[in-house]
Amino acid sequence: MKLRAERRVSHKWTALLLLGAVLAQAEIRVQCPGDTDGDAVVDQPISGRQIKCMHLSAGDGFANMADGKLQYIFSFANLTGTPVGDAMMAGMLAAEFPAPLITLKEGEEFYLTVTNVGMTRRPDLFDGHSVHFHGFPNASAVFDGVPDASAVPVMAASFTYYYNIVEPGTYMYHCHVEATEHMQMGMLGNLYVQPKQNDLADGTILGAHVHRNPDGAGPLGDRYVYNDGDGSTRYDVEFPIQMSSFDPAFHEASLQVQPLPFAMMRDKYAMLNGRGYPDTINPSPIPNSETGGFGQKMNSRVSAVRGQKILLRLSNLSVTAFFTLTSSGLPMKVVGTGARLLRGPDGKDLYYETNSVTLGGGEAADVIVDSSSLQPGTYFLYTSNLNFLSNDGEDFGGMMTEVVIQ
Amino acid sequence: MKPLAIVVFALFAVSMNAGVCEAAIQGRTGTEFDLVARAGHITTGDGDSILMWGYAVGNGLMQYPGPTLIVNEGDLITVRLKNELSEPVSIIFPGQDGVLAIGGNSGLLTREAPPDGATVVTYTFVASQPGTYMYHSGTRVDFQVEMGLTGALIVRPSSGANRAYSHPQTSFDREYLFVLSEIDPTIHELVELGRRSEVDMSRYFPVLWFLNGRTSPDTMADDGAPWLPHQPYGCLPRLHPGEIILTRVIGGGRDLHPFHPHGNHLRIIGENGRLLESAPGAGPDLSYSDFTLTVVPGSTYDALFTWTGEKLGWDIYGHGPGDPLQPNEYAPDHGKPLPVQLPEKQNLMFGNHYSGSPFLGAFGDLPPGTGGMNASGGLFFMWHSHTEKEIVNNDIFPGGMMTMLIVEPPAVRIP
Ligand SMILES: [Cu+2]
Ligand SMILES: [Cu+2]
Repeated sequence: MKLRAERRVSHKWTALLLLGAVLAQAEIRVQCPGDTDGDAVVDQPISGRQIKCMHLSAGDGFANMADGKLQYIFSFANLTGTPVGDAMMAGMLAAEFPAPLITLKEGEEFYLTVTNVGMTRRPDLFDGHSVHFHGFPNASAVFDGVPDASAVPVMAASFTYYYNIVEPGTYMYHCHVEATEHMQMGMLGNLYVQPKQNDLADGTILGAHVHRNPDGAGPLGDRYVYNDGDGSTRYDVEFPIQMSSFDPAFHEASLQVQPLPFAMMRDKYAMLNGRGYPDTINPSPIPNSETGGFGQKMNSRVSAVRGQKILLRLSNLSVTAFFTLTSSGLPMKVVGTGARLLRGPDGKDLYYETNSVTLGGGEAADVIVDSSSLQPGTYFLYTSNLNFLSNDGEDFGGMMTEVVIQ
Repeated sequence: MKPLAIVVFALFAVSMNAGVCEAAIQGRTGTEFDLVARAGHITTGDGDSILMWGYAVGNGLMQYPGPTLIVNEGDLITVRLKNELSEPVSIIFPGQDGVLAIGGNSGLLTREAPPDGATVVTYTFVASQPGTYMYHSGTRVDFQVEMGLTGALIVRPSSGANRAYSHPQTSFDREYLFVLSEIDPTIHELVELGRRSEVDMSRYFPVLWFLNGRTSPDTMADDGAPWLPHQPYGCLPRLHPGEIILTRVIGGGRDLHPFHPHGNHLRIIGENGRLLESAPGAGPDLSYSDFTLTVVPGSTYDALFTWTGEKLGWDIYGHGPGDPLQPNEYAPDHGKPLPVQLPEKQNLMFGNHYSGSPFLGAFGDLPPGTGGMNASGGLFFMWHSHTEKEIVNNDIFPGGMMTMLIVEPPAVRIP
């Protein structure tokens, strides 16, 4: 372990030296109104504006699969709160899978800075990185993250994206540079926006529903998936759950600087929030066996008290497959897809009840599970693409998690 | 960026100057169509040349997909088929009622044209319901559709050419076709080598993905581009801010594809040639909005798309407060500056579809050799399969089932 730690540090310094030589003029810079010291945390709020900032590094790292095997990955890490001068060292080899969760509120202005820290284990690569805020309505090209249609930061440089957050719902984000490669390598994350309806005054009448807000949109208040006007998307607890999948041959080829198998890509690890079962229910961050870093911070264990309404913010960012998530007896109600309330243009309710949801890459659904009819116990949420209930050769696990009702 | 990708895009950059893009859906209009099944070779973005079978118009070249047949609601449609291939072929019209087939030989699903180059099979039907449909071979369907015997059929409502269906809420300013398909070239190689009997469809493994019969970047080339004689249909949607485009999407192969339009959501108003309405005449009251469309094989989708850039929180034109509003500009953002500073050039890699400016219709200072594929200062948004494995041409990225939508400045004419 000691040897490994030393190697990691020397890799980082080698990379920094290389970068210093090649990109002497690149600039790491965080843009965040009200942040006085460059760590992407607002120090002096600006009246009349709701500013939310984040600083992500984009680079490489490692993740362990549920069968113990190590995967080389590209992804993002959260540098929010890190002094800007420390960003390179903090971001290198720190990639998280999935990428850090982004939660936003309607009405916020979101300043997202991405710093490209380079791929420490692939010093031959000079790839840019970007963020594609997938599903952002009425997008601009410059902040869309598509490298063909905009500009993306080179190594040791930053780019600040600006998003005026006006539509609630479940989105997702990912890098769009060399999209097939960088997304297979893991540059994928959860992103959702909470609606303004949560902020209404206590006692506001919403159709047959009376909104509760005794503590200023705090934990005691009602929360909704969308501005539904009638409380029909109210929930008590929410869980973002992102489906993804890895082809270990692709990740190995990347680490070994071999030709990448695009055409022959076949995913063998199917995951929820970057883990296969039983890691999906492990409450702790999972260290990787290469650097010891904790890159897999999210679990997918769903828990609620009987009677609560559970919101599952489901998305799929697999680059190879549609997946169906089904459950052992959970009543699912789909109230939104693609970050839109499921209603017709004249307000007709298009919600539906089901036992499974099928999503392709880049698709999302908002599913409410009303637990009031459930007996306390453990239920399973799992893919009915049954071959993916496995962790590569290990014939157990894969895309599955537990829903615990107390 | 890989060296091959640079070559591919350099080739494309040359092609951009070749002619004028057409905003309408290209195809054959009328009530009578003479089609001939024949062979030819298509080219793909990895430089491959692949034997296909397809429907040609009269003495014309085999084309992939077949000619888009554009007809009017209520018309009696006659399609005559001859066959110059090496085995019987036919045509079926999913979604059309009462198709009558005359001539040729009887087959499993319909009457078939023998491979004699002379016998005519005639199919007739009344195009009774407006919408987007497909047609394809009804003979050895698993194999012959893979070989290319498929095409689109559009039935325009009698209420007006610029509507998807009869209802006024299905009106559009422009329309574009997206036939999604994929192939496994090993099948085509076996046929080319005369080893048809060795084709094993159970081993099907596609490595090439298409929009309107072309792989990216050819998808963005003009309709009728001369170097793509067998792939006449481009796939480059363009619109001005505030215009509504109708996207007609067809699952033309055998796999599902999540089709993701960057820029804005789609509102899906019709599926499989039927308006999503709760009762006749209600309009698309069951339509829904999504940022990715699940395209199922054999299904069709009619979706509306528009873009204004509203509520970005900054002026998409880069106006000062005193400048005049552009058509359909979102007035509350007028004159608001870009909220962030873009990094200096040495910090950035620039895309060839980027004008160098974040503003619509404007250009910025770009490093030499970049930005060459944006002539108008338009905003480019990628439309692609979000099964990102499918945006390659065999082992070469980028390519495949991918194109760009261009939001053009109001002053730029779209043909
Ligand atoms: Cu990337
Ligand atoms: Cu995406």
